[in-house]
Amino acid sequence: MGREFWAGDGFLAILCTGPRNEGGVNVESRWFMSFFKSFLVLICLTFGFASVAAAQEDIESLRPLVNALAKGKFKETEKQIGALAATGNSAVAPALEALGDGDLYARKSDGVVFIAKKAGKGYALTDPLTLEDAGEVGRRAVSKIKVNNGLRRVIRSALGSLTLQSADPEVRKTAAEAIFKAKDPDGIEALDGALAKETDDGVRLVMEQARAAAVLASDMSLEVKTAAIEVLETMGNRDALSVIVGVQNASEGELKQVADDAVRRIKKNLAMWDNAQNIWYGLSLGSVLLLAAIGLAITFGVMGVINMAHGEMVMIGAYVTFVVQEIIRSSAPWLFEYSLLIALPLAFIVSGSIGIAIERGIIRWLYGRPLETLLATWGLSLMLQQAVRSIFGPTNQEVGNPDWMSGAFELGQLTITYNRMWIIVFSLLVFAGLMLVLKKTPFGLFTRAVTQNRRMAASMGIRTPWIDAFTFGLGSGIAGIAGVALSQIDNVSPNLGQGYIIDSFMVVVFGGVGNLWGTLVGAMTLGVVNKFLEPYAGAVLGKIFVLVFIILFIQKRPRGLFALKGRAVES
Amino acid sequence: MMTSFLFRTLDAKAGVFIAILLAVIVAVPCFNLLVPETSSFHLPTYAVTLMGKYMTYALLALSVDLVWGFCGILSLGHGAFFALGGYAMGMYLMRQIGTRGVYGDPILPDFMVFLNWKELPWYWYGFDMFWFAAIMVMLVPGVLAFVFGWFAFRSRVTGVYLSIITQALTYALLLAFFRNDMGFGGNNGLTDFKDILGFDVQADTTRAGLFATSGLAVLICFLICRAITKSKLGKVLVAVRDAESRTRFLGYRVEHYKLFVWTISAMMAGIAGALYVPQVGIINPGEFAPANSIETVIWVAVGGRGTLVGAVIGAILVNFAKTWFTAALPDLWLFALGGLFVAVTLFLPKGIIGIAGDLMKKRKSTPSKETNDTSGPSATKTPDPEPAE
Amino acid sequence: MSRPNSLLYLDGVSVSFDGFKALNDLSMVIGPGEMRAIIGPNGAGKTTMMDVITGKTKPDTGEVYFNGVVDLTGEDEASIAELGIGRKFQKPTVFESHTIWDNLELALKGPRGPFATLFHRLSAEEEARINELLKVIRLGEKAHELAENLSHGQKQWLEIGMLLAQDPKLLLVDEPAAGMTDAETAETAELLKDIAKTHAVVVVEHDMTFIRALGVKVTCLAEGSVLAEGSLDYVSANERVVEVYLGR
Repeated sequence: MGREFWAGDGFLAILCTGPRNEGGVNVESRWFMSFFKSFLVLICLTFGFASVAAAQEDIESLRPLVNALAKGKFKETEKQIGALAATGNSAVAPALEALGDGDLYARKSDGVVFIAKKAGKGYALTDPLTLEDAGEVGRRAVSKIKVNNGLRRVIRSALGSLTLQSADPEVRKTAAEAIFKAKDPDGIEALDGALAKETDDGVRLVMEQARAAAVLASDMSLEVKTAAIEVLETMGNRDALSVIVGVQNASEGELKQVADDAVRRIKKNLAMWDNAQNIWYGLSLGSVLLLAAIGLAITFGVMGVINMAHGEMVMIGAYVTFVVQEIIRSSAPWLFEYSLLIALPLAFIVSGSIGIAIERGIIRWLYGRPLETLLATWGLSLMLQQAVRSIFGPTNQEVGNPDWMSGAFELGQLTITYNRMWIIVFSLLVFAGLMLVLKKTPFGLFTRAVTQNRRMAASMGIRTPWIDAFTFGLGSGIAGIAGVALSQIDNVSPNLGQGYIIDSFMVVVFGGVGNLWGTLVGAMTLGVVNKFLEPYAGAVLGKIFVLVFIILFIQKRPRGLFALKGRAVES
Repeated sequence: MMTSFLFRTLDAKAGVFIAILLAVIVAVPCFNLLVPETSSFHLPTYAVTLMGKYMTYALLALSVDLVWGFCGILSLGHGAFFALGGYAMGMYLMRQIGTRGVYGDPILPDFMVFLNWKELPWYWYGFDMFWFAAIMVMLVPGVLAFVFGWFAFRSRVTGVYLSIITQALTYALLLAFFRNDMGFGGNNGLTDFKDILGFDVQADTTRAGLFATSGLAVLICFLICRAITKSKLGKVLVAVRDAESRTRFLGYRVEHYKLFVWTISAMMAGIAGALYVPQVGIINPGEFAPANSIETVIWVAVGGRGTLVGAVIGAILVNFAKTWFTAALPDLWLFALGGLFVAVTLFLPKGIIGIAGDLMKKRKSTPSKETNDTSGPSATKTPDPEPAE
Repeated sequence: MSRPNSLLYLDGVSVSFDGFKALNDLSMVIGPGEMRAIIGPNGAGKTTMMDVITGKTKPDTGEVYFNGVVDLTGEDEASIAELGIGRKFQKPTVFESHTIWDNLELALKGPRGPFATLFHRLSAEEEARINELLKVIRLGEKAHELAENLSHGQKQWLEIGMLLAQDPKLLLVDEPAAGMTDAETAETAELLKDIAKTHAVVVVEHDMTFIRALGVKVTCLAEGSVLAEGSLDYVSANERVVEVYLGR
């Protein structure tokens, strides 16, 4: 799929990117509201193509019925409309639509019916069934098929039932949704007809909701409207709320009471979903923090080395992703969908090797002098930033999202974007993988041995310098992997890492040094707390509150949430 | 009593330093104001301002050295105290603008008029008076340091943990001062100053005066720091730096000592900031950036941690190099600065002053072989790292 | 001995780290002016006991009283030191970048507040006292050398000197003979015996010759509680002590 996307094949590209736009339905709501009729026709056109092509024969069999529209008075026309609707073939929709708009004309010479638009001095004709161009004629060669308001209503319901009873459930659903948006009482009849025949439960639900919205806009009895409000209440989202609020404002007495209750309940329900959304955003932020901090949890937490260049390892990981994508774009576009998977091991290796080089070159001379380590690695971070700036320039680099990272889906009232979801999943996978490495592999055993008692480990034949180097490399490599993930949601610039370094330290310190679980809980807690503060305090103030909270927290529990106790820590 | 307290610890080396400093304080304004511009000995005003800026940096370095060099508290947030002092001075300078601002409001600074504020926020009251601003320059950083330190030292947050939360402190302030609602000019900060104590801030004489004031501030703070570090209190501080828990078991309340020196240091940083602002003509939230604070630490490390003269020399040298690099080879400056961090920590743990001291010792000891032999092994020995607390 | 006339009184003290019981219902009483030796295998809780007494570690349960009336569990290290309990660490801990003189000056009894020390000037008496201590610990000629240049044994002595400078009522001395030659060990024992004439002393040691040279009441700790208490001969005859500590 991705291959066509990058091959630049316009049509398929549109199909591919199609799902991405569905998240933005609301944007189009105004458009829906005003012209639901035209929309139905559009659906017929879009989804009708296939049937048109497949059943050319059928269409020709419809032509006598269409031509019959031109005959007789309103009474007869009404019957003909009924007959057309009864075919259940959506190919007749354009003709009906044109009839309602007064654009349907009969050719005087042979009585054949066309859709006609004024063009110059005459009319441009279009075949009402095949929608092919049928040339131009003079003004006097055709005569308009007249309609009145009564007919227009008949046409509308016929159109509604045509789409509402289409063979394709998608068409039926979209038609029902359009009625919901328009809140058109005229749609009730058509919906009732469609509901009687509906077999798909999903579509039935949408139809019932649409009917309820339409009922509330009509002048029907109190009982019916109360029932409609109940239907909408079960729907429970903002659309339903806005319909009921409309009722609430427009009505008095008992109905208002019912609406008031429903609004209150829906709002309560929505507040719950808002909280769920906040938690989701919080977890999403938490997973980003986790990714940024987890490598640090190894270098700082397990080894006790303050690596201020940790953020730059993340940044380098992001740049590796950028380079991989650039190469893929220029020489192997079909690989784009896999670009992140290719970048992951590369980023790990690049950042990891730089980490090992740093450990061998600088940090090993500074063990036992944490403050000096801090300064030296800060200097290193300045150099790495400047190096990247010199090579790639100071501006943001564009890193693309593969399709599987794009778009969103709905869960209840939640909108869940794929990139956020994958990053949460990914961060947990990295966490689990790291746990496995540290707990279940010989390397992990050696690492733990060296960090607990260096001298003893050395005397048991463990090459402690190499364990140090590789542990540091592991922490840096994981930072590189984090960079691949963060390149999907953040700007890739030389300053990328700096934005994360303070947050990462906060997470590790808050969670408790030397404890990976603490890092997990710390990251998620800080993420969620941050997102819950944001609506009240704003993003910046929320962040300040979190920082102040951590500053106070560290004073209360200097060793973080999950502190190690005992003599080993004291000495 | 105060004078004897300040001067009783002076020795020859400190005397030389003070003499040089005094000479510079007198000479620079003279070469600027008295020597005619046509003479090749004339010092342009921009150079005077630049040196004045270096002096304020030297003062900031002194304050960092007092806590880091002598008490082992590595502050990565001293830029916050510097900036707070700067903002206090900036607020005074803003109030002095009066009706000369773009909007001509007699009370409200331009940015408040721009934000449609109707009256002055309460915390801007009093800053039209110099004495009030001068007190605030020390009081605001001092109080913040006291409160922060009271919490941190009492609960025994030490080492890198303390460094990290000082960094978080300045980061939080950075974010806060970026907000327009804070009432400190947001992103743009405070600028467009007109005059200070009635003197035009752009005038050559004012510039020279500010330079001399900064130099004198360095001198006075140097004397205060020296008196502190040479007193018994100073010995306790070094004891805390080297073996904190041992000091506790001797009966010293370590947190009180740290709090004392931390607060003094923050107030000195505030003074440095206050002198910095009228010379550069602007104070904005960028001064709170954690990177600035860390850079200050490296000035101290370059000069020689734990030596007051070193802090001053380091600040001036590194900033001179920065001025030169950013003009001549702007792309290389960060490489040079980064390399400096690495090189100093790896190869120059005692800084320039330490190296100079070692060289002097060597020259002295070469003629008499015996003394060299007895102290041989210990001279190369690096001090035991303090066990992580 | 009852609490009111004891100097140090520990009753039912327990401390645990993550489930590991470092002290388990430990009870012990030291009388005024008494000297006590404490022995026991590694992990018996000797150092933790000292941590509890000096306020570094808070006990989970149990009572710790000084002078019969002062509850030590509510005090921090500095105030416990001010009360008159001095401590020498297992690993000699002196201020390496100070001279020996300054080390002693810092330890010398006197006001401990920051403002008191800021304006402090050495009095003639204090100077005399420091000179006296220098003689006791035999570091007179090295008075103005940095402590980092001392040998291991000299550091041990300097630390004992600092303890004396504090003039405490009770000295806690952790392994004073570690890393010393036999001659030095014997001298240290003599020094401690001298000190014990005027101070109460608790000595933790592994060196049995050293303990024998002290010739005082011995307490054997194991797994965080008292195993046996009495004269050295009595304790070393105890079956359990032999089993867990001395070996057969």
